[in-house]
Amino acid sequence: MTTQKTPEEFLQESKKMIGKETETTAAPYPVEYEPIRRYCMMVDDTNPLFQDPDYAKKTQYGDVILPPFAPFGIMAGNFISAITKALPPLPGPYVINMAQEWEWMKPIKVGDRLSTKTRLSDVHIKKIRIDPKAFWIVFETEVSNQNGDVVCIYKNILLNHRPPNIVAQEQQSEKGD
Amino acid sequence: METRQIYWEDVEVGQEIPTGYTLKLDITRFFMQVSGTQDYYPVHHDRDFAQAQGVPDIFVNTGFLTAAAGRLLTNWIGSEGWLKKFRIEMRKMNLYGDTMSVKGKVTGKRIENKEHYIEADVWCETDRQGITTPCKATIILPTRMEVTRNG
Repeated sequence: MTTQKTPEEFLQESKKMIGKETETTAAPYPVEYEPIRRYCMMVDDTNPLFQDPDYAKKTQYGDVILPPFAPFGIMAGNFISAITKALPPLPGPYVINMAQEWEWMKPIKVGDRLSTKTRLSDVHIKKIRIDPKAFWIVFETEVSNQNGDVVCIYKNILLNHRPPNIVAQEQQSEKGD
Repeated sequence: METRQIYWEDVEVGQEIPTGYTLKLDITRFFMQVSGTQDYYPVHHDRDFAQAQGVPDIFVNTGFLTAAAGRLLTNWIGSEGWLKKFRIEMRKMNLYGDTMSVKGKVTGKRIENKEHYIEADVWCETDRQGITTPCKATIILPTRMEVTRNG
């Protein structure tokens, strides 16, 4: 007889954490040119709006801006640390990032100081091929600048599933009932 | 990179986004991914670790994939375009050794609250698996009417 909690029991516990926010985490340094250059370089992006101050000076922004996805791309360490603290109890061993959704409100410029706040916004069970009671977790992160303006919001939709042997045990046990 | 501003009137529904490109996911690219995203989780750069976790090989992370889609979109929309919303789904892994292409297509145009919107499908695909990473983007573009009005 398994003493493993069921996904439904994990779900009951996890739902109590919905809405709970992490404390605000500030990026250690202001937005800087060099991390932007390395970020762009990884996908061979030569867009001068993100790398050439002389070009960017002539645009509406007046200076280099952060590429739109870089708040997650450059600060992934902050995010991973934040959700590690905010993760609800989970039935399976691994968490896989399945999808992201983004919305942008304001540009982010070199020199801006960013901070993030993350909260668990949903937990639900939805089947996948290898686990009929796979666990889906949605985190929402708000990125703000030094003025307290929310500059963008992103959601991560994460999947947690049980190993095949645990699923098989459960199915065997249900057949025997 | 040659810069050119596009306007809402210039865009046609169904057109291909012209800033598509291809990257080889060789070991140098994986190390550039670590440098660019500062994500040190070994499943994205240590082949032995990845295979011990049961995945076929190292695979690029979410930060890399969104940067890749972002390059296609921001290179196209110019400094006056604004990426408003986006969704990305990591359906299959983009693995070590793959050749990854990033492509896009315009799927809609509308005017709402005086803003000029474009909807687009963007995706990453590999030679090994086809489409791995489908995305949807909502963009706001400047209009030629504004240029005329503002001189």
